[in-house]
Amino acid sequence: MNEKSGSLIDSLERQGVSRRTFMKYCATLASLMALPPAVGRAFAEALAKATRPSVIWLSFQECTGCTESLTRSHTPTLESLIFDSISLDYHHTLQAAAGTAAEAAREAAMKLNWGKYLLVVDGSVPMKDGGVYSTIAGVSNHDMLMDTVKGAAAVVAVGTCAAFGGLPKAQPNPTGAVAISDLVKDKPVVNVSGCPPIPVVMTGVLAHFLAFGSLPELDKLGRPLAFYGETIHDRCYRRPFYDQGKFAKTFDDEGARQGWCLFELGCKGPVTYNSCATVKWNDGTSFPIESGHGCLGCSEPDFWDAGGFYRALSLPANPLHVAATAVEVGAVVGVGVALANRAGKSAAKAGHETATLADLEK
Amino acid sequence: MSASLSRAVNVLKEVIDAPIASYFNSCVHCGLCAEACLFYTETGDPKYTPIHKLEPLRRVYEQEYTLLGRLLKLVGLSKPVSDAELGEWQELVYDSCTMCGRCSMVCPVGNDIVYMVRKLREGMAIAGHAPEGVVSATSRTIEIGSPMGVKLPALKAQIGHLKTETGLDVPLDLEGAEYMVLLSSMEIINFPEYLNAIAKIMKQAGKTWTICSTAFEATNSGIQIGVSDLARVIVSRIVEGAERLKVKTVISPECGHAYTAVRWEGPNLIGRPYTFKVQHILEVLDEFRNQGLLKTQGFEEERLTFHDPCQLVRRGGVIEQPRNLMNMVSKNFVETSDPGKYNWCCGGGGGVSANDNAEEIRLIAFKRKKAQLDVVKPDKLVTACANCRIVLEEGLEHYQMDLPVVGLTEMIAEHLAES
Repeated sequence: MNEKSGSLIDSLERQGVSRRTFMKYCATLASLMALPPAVGRAFAEALAKATRPSVIWLSFQECTGCTESLTRSHTPTLESLIFDSISLDYHHTLQAAAGTAAEAAREAAMKLNWGKYLLVVDGSVPMKDGGVYSTIAGVSNHDMLMDTVKGAAAVVAVGTCAAFGGLPKAQPNPTGAVAISDLVKDKPVVNVSGCPPIPVVMTGVLAHFLAFGSLPELDKLGRPLAFYGETIHDRCYRRPFYDQGKFAKTFDDEGARQGWCLFELGCKGPVTYNSCATVKWNDGTSFPIESGHGCLGCSEPDFWDAGGFYRALSLPANPLHVAATAVEVGAVVGVGVALANRAGKSAAKAGHETATLADLEK
Repeated sequence: MSASLSRAVNVLKEVIDAPIASYFNSCVHCGLCAEACLFYTETGDPKYTPIHKLEPLRRVYEQEYTLLGRLLKLVGLSKPVSDAELGEWQELVYDSCTMCGRCSMVCPVGNDIVYMVRKLREGMAIAGHAPEGVVSATSRTIEIGSPMGVKLPALKAQIGHLKTETGLDVPLDLEGAEYMVLLSSMEIINFPEYLNAIAKIMKQAGKTWTICSTAFEATNSGIQIGVSDLARVIVSRIVEGAERLKVKTVISPECGHAYTAVRWEGPNLIGRPYTFKVQHILEVLDEFRNQGLLKTQGFEEERLTFHDPCQLVRRGGVIEQPRNLMNMVSKNFVETSDPGKYNWCCGGGGGVSANDNAEEIRLIAFKRKKAQLDVVKPDKLVTACANCRIVLEEGLEHYQMDLPVVGLTEMIAEHLAES
C-alpha cells in the first residue's frame, strides 16, 4: 500500500491478474456504464497506463458497511484488486497507522497530490451542537471534510449516508446529520448511493475518473446515470407477475412460493433507481427480491422514513367497494339519462305531424 | 326558429334511435368511409366524407340526447342546427350521396352510415331542403302513381304492343296468381323488353303471374327523398294490391331502390309483416334455374361484364344469383375490380339521377366506373337495374365510350330454349 509508483496494470499483474482478464473486465465495465464498445478498449488502455491515483477516504457517521461491501468477498474480485492498486493513502479501517501518524499521512498525501487526489467519503456529517457527535483526532467531521476537500479533484460520496444523509439523518435526526453535497458546493460530487452501494458502481466511477479524467454522466440526484437510470421494478424478473396483477399477499402464501410480485408486501422497486436487478450482488448471485424480500429502496433519499418497509406503495382502500359504487352511480345516471331521452323521444313522436307533399315545397 | 325548421328538428329527434346513438358514439374518426365514397375518391374533397354528411344529425343527437351536449347548448357553446345550415347540407345529403352503402360496408366499427343518411333526409325534406327534381318525382308518384307520370293506359298500350309482337298475354289483376310482377316506370317507357322477357320466362316456367292495375309501379320516391309518411303511402298500394289478389310472391323489377323499398323498408313502414313474399327478379330467375324451370340455349360470344346494383348486393345480398345467370348464357364473362358487395355505384342511385343539381358531380363520380371499365374493356355491359342502366348510358355517352348496356333478365330471355 505504500508503493506509489508503477501503473495499474503492472500492479494487477504482480497480483496474478492476466491482461486478458483485465481487458474483459474493462469491456464489461464499459458496457455496464453504457459506453460504446469501441470505448471499452480505450478505457482499458487508459486504465492500464494510469498511475496509481492518490485516494483519501474519510469515514464519518457510518457503519463501515460500505467499506465491507467494497472490499470483502470470499475470493478477491477485480474490484477489490483495483482498490488494492490505488494509493489509498488514508482509510480508517484499512490503514495500519493510528493517532497522530495517521493524520500526518493524510496531510502528507494532500500536500503531495494537491488538486489531484480523489476524496471518497462514507457517512454523513453531524452539524448539531457544533458537530460534537462525531470527531476524529479531536476534529469535527465538518472541519475535517472542509479541510480535506480543498485540494481534492472530485468527491465521491459512497453510500446513502454520505449521499443523502442516510440512517443518521432518519427522524428525528438527533445529530443534525447532512449529506456531503449539502456542504461541498465548489467541487464535483458523485453520489454512489445504496446501503451499501454495489461494488461495481464504485469501481465504475473510479475507472471512469482514472481513464478519462472526468466523472460519468449523473442523474438529478448526482448518481451515475449508467447505474441509476432505471428502477429496480423495470428490470425485475418478477415484473411479468405485476403486469398480470399476480401479487404475493403474505411472505409464505402460494403466490410467494410461485415467485409473484412483492408489491403488496411493500416492495419499493417501482420508485428505486439502482442496478441490483441487473448487476446483482455477491458476484452476481442474486439480489434481495430474488431472495423473496421486497426492495427497501436503500439508494433513494430518506428511505428509512418512507413509511414502513412492509407497507405497499399505494393500494386502493377497497377496490371492489369503489367499483361497486361506481357501477351503482353509473346505473342510476344511466337510467336517469335514458328516462330523460325516452321522454324527449316520446315528445318528438307526439309532436309528429304527418308529412304531406305540401311540406316538401319550401 | 321557423315552423318548418322546428318540425324538422322534431323529426330528427324522432328518428334518432338506439343504433344511431351507438353509431355516433362508436365513430373513431378514422376516415375510411371517405375512401369508400366515390364522391370523395373522384373529387378528393374531404367535405364528401360520408360521416361528415351527417353533421346536422350528429349535433341534434348531441344536443338533445347527451348530457354534455345539453350543457354545451345551454351555455351557448354548441350552436343549434339552423335552416341555413340544412340548406348548405343539401348538396352533401342529396346531390353527393347515392345511398349506395359502401361507407357502411367498410366502417371498421360497423356504423351503418347510409342508414343515418336515410334518416337525416327525413328532417331535410321536412325543412324544405330536398332538391326540386326529387320533390317533383315524389309529387308525381303520390298524385299520378309513378315518378315519371306513367299511368295505367300507358302500360295497357305496352301490353297491347307485346301481344301483337309475340302473341303472349299479360294477365292483369289475376286473383290467386303465384307471382305479382312489379315494374318501374323506366321499364314501361324506356325498356319495354323487360316485360317481354318476363312474359316469355313465365310461360316457359309454367307459372301463373299477374300485374296489378292499381299497383304496377315499384319505385318509391318516398324512400329516396326520405319521407317515411309518403313512402308508406306508396308501399301501401303494393301491399293492398298483392293482398287483394292473394298472390304468393311479389317480384321487384330490375330496380335497386324499389327492391330496398318493398323488400326491406315496406314492413317497417306499414308496421306489420306482409302476407306475401318479396323477391327480386334475379332471385326468382336463379330459383327457376335451380329447379330446372329456366332452360337456355346458346351463348353470348362477346366479352361481358356485370355492374352490380348497390341496393341488390350491399343492401340485399343478391350476389351469387346474377353470376349464376351470367354464366348460364355467357362463356366470356369477366368481373370488374371490386365485384359483388364492394361494387362501385353508377353514381345515380338514391334519387341522384332525378336531381338536376347533381348532374355535374354525377358525371365526375362516373369516372370511377369508367376507370373500372377501361381496365376490363368489355363489349357489352350487363346490369339489373333500370336506373343504373340509364345512368350508365348517360355516363358512357358523356365520356364517348361505345359500350351497349343491357338488362340481365332480357338477355336471359333472348336465350330461352325453344319449347
